[in-house]
Amino acid sequence: MRPAPPRLARRMLDAVLPRSARGDTVRGDLIEEFGARSQVSPVRARRWYWRQTLAIAARSAVGRTVASDPNDPPVNRGSAGLRDLVLVDLRSAAKALIKARGFTIASVVTLALGLGAATAVFSVVEAVLVRPLPFTDPARVMWMTEVFADTGATMSISWPDFLDWGQRLHVYADLAAIRPTTFNLTGGEIAERVEGREVTWTFLHTLGVHPQLGRDFAESDDRVGAAPVALVSDGFWRTHLAADPGAIGQRLTIDGASRTVIGVLPRGFRYNPLANDAVYLPLGATATEDSGLPDRGNHNNVSAVGRLKPGMTEAAARRELADVEAALEREHPDTNATVAGQVTPVTDRLANGVGSVIATLFGAVAVLLLLAAVNVASLAVARSVSRRQELALRAALGCGRRRLVGYLVIENLLIALTGGLAGLAVGDGLVRALVAAAPPNIPRLDEVGLDAGVWLFVLGASIAIAFLIAVLPGLQASTARGQQALVRASRDDLGASSGQRARRSLMVVEVALAVILLTGAGLMARTLRAVTTVDPGFNPTQLLTVRFSIDGDRSTPARVELFNRRIVAFYDQLLPAIEALPGVVATGAAPSLPIDGANWNSVFVVGGQPVPPRALLPSAAFVPATPGLFTTLGIRLKAGRVFRASDRQDAPDVAIVNEQFVRQFLEGRSPVGQRFKQGWPETPNAWREIVGVVNDVKLNGVEQDTPPEVYLPMAQEPASRSALVVRTAGDPAAMLPAVRAVFAKLDPLLPLFDVHSMDDLVNTELARQRLTMLILIGFATLALVLASVGLYGVVSHGVSARTREIGVRLALGASGRQVVSLFVGQGLVTTAIGLATGCAAGFAMARFVEAQGLLFHVTARDPVAFSTAVVTLFLVSIGACYVPARRASRVDPTVTLRGE
Amino acid sequence: MTTARPLGEFEQLVLLAILRLQADAHGVGIGRALEADAGRSVSRGALYTTLDRLESKGLVRWRLATGGEERARLPRRVYAVTARGLAAIRSSHRAFARMSRGLASILKDSGA
Repeated sequence: MRPAPPRLARRMLDAVLPRSARGDTVRGDLIEEFGARSQVSPVRARRWYWRQTLAIAARSAVGRTVASDPNDPPVNRGSAGLRDLVLVDLRSAAKALIKARGFTIASVVTLALGLGAATAVFSVVEAVLVRPLPFTDPARVMWMTEVFADTGATMSISWPDFLDWGQRLHVYADLAAIRPTTFNLTGGEIAERVEGREVTWTFLHTLGVHPQLGRDFAESDDRVGAAPVALVSDGFWRTHLAADPGAIGQRLTIDGASRTVIGVLPRGFRYNPLANDAVYLPLGATATEDSGLPDRGNHNNVSAVGRLKPGMTEAAARRELADVEAALEREHPDTNATVAGQVTPVTDRLANGVGSVIATLFGAVAVLLLLAAVNVASLAVARSVSRRQELALRAALGCGRRRLVGYLVIENLLIALTGGLAGLAVGDGLVRALVAAAPPNIPRLDEVGLDAGVWLFVLGASIAIAFLIAVLPGLQASTARGQQALVRASRDDLGASSGQRARRSLMVVEVALAVILLTGAGLMARTLRAVTTVDPGFNPTQLLTVRFSIDGDRSTPARVELFNRRIVAFYDQLLPAIEALPGVVATGAAPSLPIDGANWNSVFVVGGQPVPPRALLPSAAFVPATPGLFTTLGIRLKAGRVFRASDRQDAPDVAIVNEQFVRQFLEGRSPVGQRFKQGWPETPNAWREIVGVVNDVKLNGVEQDTPPEVYLPMAQEPASRSALVVRTAGDPAAMLPAVRAVFAKLDPLLPLFDVHSMDDLVNTELARQRLTMLILIGFATLALVLASVGLYGVVSHGVSARTREIGVRLALGASGRQVVSLFVGQGLVTTAIGLATGCAAGFAMARFVEAQGLLFHVTARDPVAFSTAVVTLFLVSIGACYVPARRASRVDPTVTLRGE
Repeated sequence: MTTARPLGEFEQLVLLAILRLQADAHGVGIGRALEADAGRSVSRGALYTTLDRLESKGLVRWRLATGGEERARLPRRVYAVTARGLAAIRSSHRAFARMSRGLASILKDSGA
C-alpha cells in the first residue's frame, strides 16, 4: 500500500488550491513526490509535504494563489493587498522590537504585571459573580423571604404564609420552600453532624435539576405521616454510600429516625455555593402540629425560591408578593401586621455580599491596568522620539498617516499580546496565591481558574491597550511631514521637546493613578486597624468552642417538659466534668457566641410602661447562659449579680441585660429590679426580673453594632442546640481530646461540630478586610514602582535630550547643584500636578469604597490615608528625579560644546 | 514585441530545467532537477507561482497528460518552452556570457 500524505495537510491544500485541472496537477505532483520521498524516510516525507502545503497556503493567503488560471479575473485583490501589507509590517515590527530589546522587555514586563493582576481578579469575579449557578436558567429564579416591614430585617417565612403564597402567587411556574438545617447522622461507625436542607417536593423541579440516580421527591413524600425518605448529594453518595448505584433504597439514621434514600443529586449541584449540603429531606412532612410550623406567627428559618413563568419579570413578582402580603395582613392582623415580603434574584442572594469587595478590587485592577498601559505608552513615546528619524523616513518615502498608525498598532499589538501571554502566567500564579489566602466565606472560590473567559478577557484587554498606546506616539509621529521632519529629526533636542510634553502629561496621569491606589490601600489598612482595635467586649484568647445538639422528643407539652429536664441534667453533668479537667480555667455554655451571631432574636414587653403596638415592640438578642459563661468569656459585670446555680426552674425568673439594652429601653431608670417579659404581649411567658447588667459584647461581628442583649439562666430556658466554651490555661486546641472524651462518656452518639478557638472566629471575621488590604497594598506597591520607573524614565530622557543645553549652562557658570535642582524641580512640578489630580480622583474612589460599606470607623476623606499616599509618592519621585538629574550635573561642557 | 523585463534568476533556472527535461518536464521533474543540479531546495509554492508567471508572460506552455497510480490518477502538466521563451533565455544567456568574458580564471571553480 502506498503511504498517504497527512490528511489534515491534504484538506488544507484542497481548500487553497483551485478546484480545476490546474489545481489537480499540483495535488498530483505533491502526492507523487511524497510517495517517492516516503521510500527514503516517511517522517521526512511528511514533514516535506507539510512544509510545501504551508508554503502554498501562505502564498494564497497573501494573494499569490498557486495554479490559478491567469485568465480568471483577479479575486479579492484589495484585501489580499492589505493582508500582504500586514505581513510585511508584522515582520518589520518583530525585527524592530527585537532590536529595541530594552524597550520591549520593559513594556512586556509592565504589561505582564498589570494584566496578570487583572487576570487574577477577573478570574475570581468570573467564578464568584458571573458564572451561572448550577441550575437551569438561574436568572429566572427568584429568592423570597419575609422581613420586618419597618426595618427590612430578615425574619424568614412563616409556613402558613408560604402555603398561601403557593395558592396566590401566579407569576411563578414553580415555587418551593427551603430550610437549612444540620442533622445528626448516626448508625454508621461514628456519629456525625451533616449539613442539609428541608425542602418542599417542588424544590429540584423549580431549579430545573434532576437526580442523577433514583427519583425526585413526589408530592406524596411531602405530607405529614408520609414514609420518611431522603435525597443525598453526589459527595455524600461517594463518601458514605461508596458511590454504589444500589444505594437507592438503603436506609440512613437521621436525627434518630430511619429514612430511605430515594435519589442522588447530580454531581456539581449545590443550592448554596457556601454550603456543603449532604442530605435533603421533605419539609412538608415535618409540619406536624407541635413542630411550630403551622403557627402563622412563627418564622422558622424558611425561605422560598420560585421560577418565573415565561414573560414574567422580577418587578411583577415584587408587585404580586406585595399584594399577597397586604391581603394576608388584612386577614391575619395579629400575626402579619409587621410582616412584608421580599424578592431577590437568587443569583444576587447567593453571591453572599462579597460583591462589594470584588467590585472594589475590580476597580483597583482597572486603575492598575490603566497605569501599566500609560507607562508603556510613555515608553513608546520616548522610543518614538528617538526613532523619529526612522518614522520620518517612512513618511518621506510616502508612507501615509493611516499606514504609519497601522504599523504602530501592529508593533504594539505584538508587545501587548506578548505581555498578555506573560500576564496569563503571572495571573495563574496569583490566582493560586489568592485562593490559598482567601477567607473561607467566599462562594465558589474552589471553582476559580483560568478558563476561556479569562483568555478572552486578556485578549480583549491586550488589543485595547495596543490601540491606546499606538494612538499617542502614532499621531505624534505622523505629524512629522516628509523632508521637513527629516531635517528636524537630525536636530534631536528639538524633536524631543514635543515628546517630552507628551510624556509629562502621561506622567501626570500615572502619578494620579498611583495616588488612587495608594489611598485605597491606606484606607483599607486604616479600616483593618480600626476593626482590630474595637473592643469586642470579651477576651477571645485561649478559648475553645464546640457545638453540639441534643436530640429529643417535643411532640407533647409533657414530653417537652421531660426533654427540658434531660437537657438541664446534661449541663449539670457536663460542666463540672469539663471544669475538673486539668488545664481548664473556666467553662460555660450558650447557644449564641460572640462574633458568631445571635441565634435567637425576640420581641419583649417592658414592665411598668405602656405596651406599644405590635409593630413597635422592642426586640433583643436572647441568650440562655450557664452561670460560668460570663467569667469564661471575660464579660464584666457592671451592676447587680451574675447567675447563680440556684437560678433554676423553680426559683424566680431572672435575667441579665447588657448596657446597650439599658441605654435603649431603661433610660434614666435603675436597671436592676426592672421587669420584662419575652414574647408577644399575649404570650403566657413569665415576667423576669433584671438582676444584673454586663458590658456590651460584639455578638454579631466586630463591625456590627452591638444589639441589646438579654441573658437568661440556662436552667430556666434550656437550649438543646448549644455551644460549650472552655477557657484554657494553654493551647485551646490541645484541650479538645479531653473535652471530646467527656462528651463521649455522657453520650457516645452525640456528635461535636464547629470546633474553633475563639481567635479563629475573630480572625475569620477579619479575613475579608485583611485580604482586600493585602491585595490593595500589593497593587499600590506595584503602582509606586511603575510610577517611579516612569518618572525616572522621563527625567533621564529629558536629561539626555538636553545634554547640549546643560553643557551651555555649565559653560556659562551654572553650578552642578543648580542643574540638579532644575531637573528635580521640573520632575516635581509634574509630580505635584499628578498628586493634585490624584487626590481629587482618589476622593471619588474613596466615596465609592465607602458606599460599598468596606470602610469601618474611617471616612472617605481620611486625612491619614491621603497624606500618607501623597508624602510617599512625593518622596519616591524626588528619588526618581534626583538620580538622572545628578547625571546631568556631571555633563562635561567642553565635550558637549565641541560636538556643535 | 519583446519581453518587457529581463528574466529573473529563478525564472532562467526553471526554463533551463524544462529545456533539459523535454517530455519529462512536469512539476515533479522540474522540482527535482532544480534541487539536484542547481543545488537548492525549492519551495513548491514558489515553483508553481513562477511557472504560472512564465505562462502568463507567454514563455512556456503546457498540455495535460494523464497521471498514473503513483499520483492518485491526478493529471499532470507537461511544460514546453515557447519560441518567445527560447528567445528570452537566449538573450539572458548572451548577456551573461558577455559579462563573463575575460573572467574565466576568476569564475572557474577552484575546487572540483
